[in-house]
Formats: sequence, C-alpha cells, structure tokens
Amino acid sequence: MPKILLVEDNEMNRDMLSRRLQRKGFEVEMATDGRQGVTMAQAAPYDLILMDMSLPEIDGWEAARQLRAAPSTQQVPIIALTAHAMSGDREKAIEAGCDDYDTKPIELERLLGKMRALLDRNGGA
Amino acid sequence: MTAPAAGTLTVQALSQLRHELRTPINQIIGYCEMLLEDAGGPEQVGRRGALEEALAAVRDALGRIDQALPPGRSDVRPAEAETLSDTLQVPRERILRATESLLGDGERAFVADVRKIRSAAERLGVVGPAVATPPRATPAPGTPRSSPPPPTPAPSAPSHPAAAAGAASAPTTPARILVVDDIEDNRAVLDRRLARQGHAVTCASSGGAALELLAAQPFDLVLLDVMMPELDGFAVLERIKASPATRDVPVIMISALDDMASVVRCIEGGAEDYLPKPFDPVLLKARIGACLEKKRLRDRELAYLAEVERLMAAAREVETGEYRIGALAEVTARGDELGRLARVFDGMAAGVKAREERLQGQLHDLRREIAAAQAAPAAEEGAGATRLVTGQVFAGRYEILKTLGAGGMGVVYRARDRELGEDVAIKLVHAELLHGDETAVQRLKAETRLARRISHRNVVRTHHFGECDGAYYVTMEFVEGMTLRQLMDTRGRLGVPAALAIGTQLAEALEVAHGQGVIHRDIKPQNLLLDAAGVLKVMDFGIARLAEHTTVLTQAGMIVGTPAYMAPEQLLGEDVDGRSDLYAAGVVLYECLTGRLPFAAQSPISLIAKLLRDDPVPPADLNPEIPRPLSALIVQLLAKKPEERAATAGGLSRVLASLG
Repeated sequence: MPKILLVEDNEMNRDMLSRRLQRKGFEVEMATDGRQGVTMAQAAPYDLILMDMSLPEIDGWEAARQLRAAPSTQQVPIIALTAHAMSGDREKAIEAGCDDYDTKPIELERLLGKMRALLDRNGGA
Repeated sequence: MTAPAAGTLTVQALSQLRHELRTPINQIIGYCEMLLEDAGGPEQVGRRGALEEALAAVRDALGRIDQALPPGRSDVRPAEAETLSDTLQVPRERILRATESLLGDGERAFVADVRKIRSAAERLGVVGPAVATPPRATPAPGTPRSSPPPPTPAPSAPSHPAAAAGAASAPTTPARILVVDDIEDNRAVLDRRLARQGHAVTCASSGGAALELLAAQPFDLVLLDVMMPELDGFAVLERIKASPATRDVPVIMISALDDMASVVRCIEGGAEDYLPKPFDPVLLKARIGACLEKKRLRDRELAYLAEVERLMAAAREVETGEYRIGALAEVTARGDELGRLARVFDGMAAGVKAREERLQGQLHDLRREIAAAQAAPAAEEGAGATRLVTGQVFAGRYEILKTLGAGGMGVVYRARDRELGEDVAIKLVHAELLHGDETAVQRLKAETRLARRISHRNVVRTHHFGECDGAYYVTMEFVEGMTLRQLMDTRGRLGVPAALAIGTQLAEALEVAHGQGVIHRDIKPQNLLLDAAGVLKVMDFGIARLAEHTTVLTQAGMIVGTPAYMAPEQLLGEDVDGRSDLYAAGVVLYECLTGRLPFAAQSPISLIAKLLRDDPVPPADLNPEIPRPLSALIVQLLAKKPEERAATAGGLSRVLASLG
C-alpha cells in the first residue's frame, strides 16, 4: 500500500483529500505546514508527497527545494497542489523540484493518474 | 512576469484572490463526490439528487471564476473581483438550498460532511482584505435571506464601470470610520464590509452616542444614517459641522430616503456625499475612497499652510526683534522647498541679529557722545542771518519757533505747521542762489520732487517746496537733535564704534538715495543730523545742486563754506555720480576718527590744490585705535579717481558692517 504524505494547512481540504485517498487504497499521513512536512519526510520514507503550495511557516516552493536538497528525500516524488491557477505555476513548481503539478479544485481521477504515473516510475526504477 | 497595470490588483493580491475563490470550491466538489460515492443505493436517490444539484452549482461557480480569471490574466481590477464575488452568490444560494434537506438526515457522519459542504459554500465568493472585496452578508444556515437575491450580471463585465475606473480601483488607505445607524443589522453589515477593506470601524446606535464618540476621539470619516429616533441624521450633521473640533471630518449620509430634497438638505448641511439605501457596495467603497483622499489632501494642505504661517510669524518676529534663532526647527527639518526656505531664512535672521547687536553697541557709544555734547553749553549760531523772527507766521501756516542754523544754502528754522499740527524744519533758500533765475527755481522744484521719493529712516523727509513774497523755501521733517558738526565741535574725534555707527547709517541712506537716482552732492557733517537715540539722518538732498551753478573757485567760501568734502571731479566741474558722495563720506569718516580733515590749508585755493594733488595721511597713522582695514577703506574712499573708490554705497554699507 503506497504511503503518501499530504502537506496541507487547510483542515477541510486535508480531511476531504485524505479520506478520498484512503478510499482508493493509500496510506495517508498529514502535515499542516511546510516545516512539519520537511521534518516528517526526512524522518520516515514516503512513496509520494502531495504538497499544497500556500503554506504557513515555509511555503510549498521552499519545502520542495529543501526536500530536493536533502539526500534522504531527493528521490521522493512530489506533486504540487495550488488553488492559484496562474499560468507559470506549473513551470515554477517543476523548477522548485516538484515532479508534477495539479490545480484545485482537485479532479480526483486526474490526480490519481498523475500519482500512479510517478509511483510506477519510482517503483519500476 | 509583467508588473500589474495601474489600478489593478497586485500579483500577490490576485494570487490570494484565486486561492480564496477556489478553496471552497475544492472542498465542496471533494465532499460532494465522496458522499455521492457512498450514495449508490436505490433508497438514496434523494441524497444523490441533492448532491448532484450542489455539484452542478459548484461547477457553475468554477466556470464563472475561470471565465473571469483565466490562468494567464494578470490585469484584474478590484471592481471586477467584486463583481465576480457578487455573481458567485447565485451558485452559493443554489448549493445551500440543495443541501438544506440533507441536514435532516439521520446519519451523523453524513450530516457532518453536509455541514462541511455548507460551511464551504458560505465562504464561496467571500474574499479577504488584501483583495479588498466586500462580501455579501452571510445569513445563518437555514434562514431565508432578508433581501432579494442580487442581480447577476455577465461574469466578466464589471457592473460598475465608472466606479471601476475611478476611486474604487485605487488602493484604499485604512481609515478610522464612525458608522452611525440605529438598526443593528445595518451597522453590522457596514462594520464587516469596511473592516474587510482594512478600516478601523466604530459603531454608534444613536445620534447622541455618535456625538459623544466624536468628541472623545478622532475620526477620518462618518457614515451617518438619516432616519434615526430622537436626534436624526440632519441634526447630528448640523452639530458636527457647528463644532470647530469636528467641522473638518467628512460625513457621508446614508438613507432610504432618496428624494432630491433630502439630498440637497444633506449637501447644504455640509455632508460630503449622499448614498441611498440599499447601497451599492462598489459605489460605497468608491465614495469612501474619494472622500478619504479629499480629506487627506485637505489635511496636508492645512498642515502646509500652518508651516507657511509659522514662517510668516517668524518674519514678523525678526522685524520686531523677537525672533529666536532655531525657533523654526520643525519647519527647517522639512526636506522640501519650504524647509529650504526656512533654513535660508533662519540663517539670514541669525546674520541680521548679529549685525543688529553690533550696531546697537556702536549706537550706544554714539549716544554717549551726543549726550555729552548736549550737556555742553550751546553756541549761539546763525543769529546774524535770521530773516524770520520767532512767533512770526510764515507762508500763512508755519509759526516760527526757533532758528536752528545757517549755512551756505540758507537759514533753517524750526516751525509749527498749523495745518498739520506738527513741527517741521523750514529752510529759507538764500535769494542769491536763485538770482531771480526761473530755470534755477524749476531745477530746485525738480530736485525737491526727486528728494521726496526717498523714504528711509536715515534720510530727513522732504515735505514741500514753496515760495512766499519772493522767498523760496523747503519744508522737511524736524529732527530733535544735533548735527554731526555740532557733535564733533563739542567732543572732538569720536571712538571707532561711534564712527562706524555714523558711517554705516550714512552708507545706508546713500544706498537708498542712489537707488532712486538722487545724488546728494554735499555730504558734510553740517548736513548729518543725529537724534538722541543715535539715529543719523541726512538732510538737504537735492538742494546742493544749486551750488553747482556758482563758481566754486571764486565764491567757494560764501556758497558751500568749504570744498573740503567735495570729490576732485566735483571741484573740477566734471561728471558727478554716487561715487562723489562716497568720497564725501570718506572725508566725514576721516574727520570723525581723527578729529581733522584729510587736507587742510589756509585758503580755499591752496586747499583745492592739495586736495587734487596730495595723498591723505592714513587715519590709522594719526589714531592707532583705528583698525587697519577701516583706515585702508577710508583711504580708498578718498581716491582721486572715482573708479578706485568703493563701487556702490550698498557695498560700503556691507563692508562697514563687517568691520564692526
């Protein structure tokens, strides 16, 4: 069962998305800000990180950069999530070290497709 | 990324707007889809219908957002954001209606999720202060809205183009706003809207309470309801405008009355603006912005004028000698032109004050000399030349009081002007000077007219030229005091400070006269009057001209007494200008400081010869107390060639002041 770290500060978003992912068979752990996300990712292995970009403490962009810089988390795939829906966000996310990007509102099937692609890539490697 | 255009949201505000609009949509879609997954059974068709309706509504909302804010768009005006926020009320109401029936469902976990959907729906279209978008009032779940649903304009078209182009698109400055309304709901709505725009809002539920608050603390703006019990809005407005403390606080009246008469009444009463209820939030925001901007400009103007007034007051203080150097510290600290002006002013005032103090010291010495001279017995003078007698009324209006002196030009009397009720000096011109010559008379008239233009504390004021029984006379200001001749005859040479006081005042008088095109031509101690306060006054401007048409060499003794004060060019009948007066001033200073003339001889002819030929002995050689620079200055004034003297009386005045 793939283990997912969901980094999201909004309680309702966290509740909703974690439950939907659990229904799809994922094990979900949660962090509520960027700093906690980085700490948890470095403390335990995750198969994939879903990272909201608007976060308190350190934001998603910075958290992604830190995760990419640390050897223990360098390989963990990260999907950036934003509600900004601005052009250029995707490029910015890739530049910060994320592997993929999705916008809110989340279309679950689309997100699951992206997650599976990354998990397969890493699992096959 | 390009910078946002003027009047549009910043990148950060736009990013926050997108985030705040999409977050509840994400939640509603997520929960609805999740609950739908669970509602597969045939008995749950009702649930499914409600959730699908909610999903359709939230997708409608998303469509509106995507249409108004496509991903690449960055030039979004605040008014557009507000319009979009307004249009989202429709899907929001739809979601709330659709999910209302689900609250009655017995299943606890399901109802908890429905509540989450509804809670997210409540926040749909509600954006924070950074975007400065006023939200619609949020009714409690399940209660019908008291006002009809808002109009739904096309999502991308701003509903208020005028406001969008005007103040509403400008960033709002936070302000202290007092909201006065007797109806609690109205207060609450305004409170929330204005607070979301970043303003500090205080509410009052009656006119009386509003006036108390206004008396106790400062506000930038008052929103005043017209219809209130007891003290209504008109009465409150009247009191606000009647008090000097609150007069300048702008007031916007809000009322359901929208008849022209009450609008006129408010504006006439001093209100800045008037808004009819139910007010339009965009219009309200635009008008508040405009009002505050106007007040800000007015406040800035008032503060500026206050500082200009301080500068003017300081100028008046300099005139009365009460200015304290540095008193303008606050104004001089300004970085703008006014600050620069104040700094220059302060520096100049310091210079004037220092000079004033020096002059006071010099005058003090001069006054001592004068007082001592007055104590000495006065010589009887000019009695032989008197043509008018004491008690006689001359020219029908001047009662002769005393003979003051006689000179080359004529005899001077003190007289009472019966018409003006004041004492004047009358100079009766020697008949020989005019020879019955009409041209000479006309010249004297013209010179007197010129002299009358000179108005200065160091010049004896010339009043009038007249003729009586064939005698020509000039009336002038009477000065109680003595001539410099009398002072020196009594006291001998003067101290350096007293001489400087005389030289400085003489130079100032000449500066003003020369500026008016008047050359004195006969500066000598007999023409310099000193009052008891040490103020020097030059007399006989214009009269000396008469002497030029007599032959100096043959009649010098009779006409001008002595050529000792005359410049070489004047003696030689060459062109005379202001520098000839400066030569004479040099002789006067020489005599003041040394007690003797630069050139002395037994006869006028040998005197003139010396004067044209010899160099004077430097004054400092005769009196070691005289500072060398002052001595050198006097020698320079006595130069034979006018171009080797000080160029102007103004220049001499400044050099003398610097020597003090």
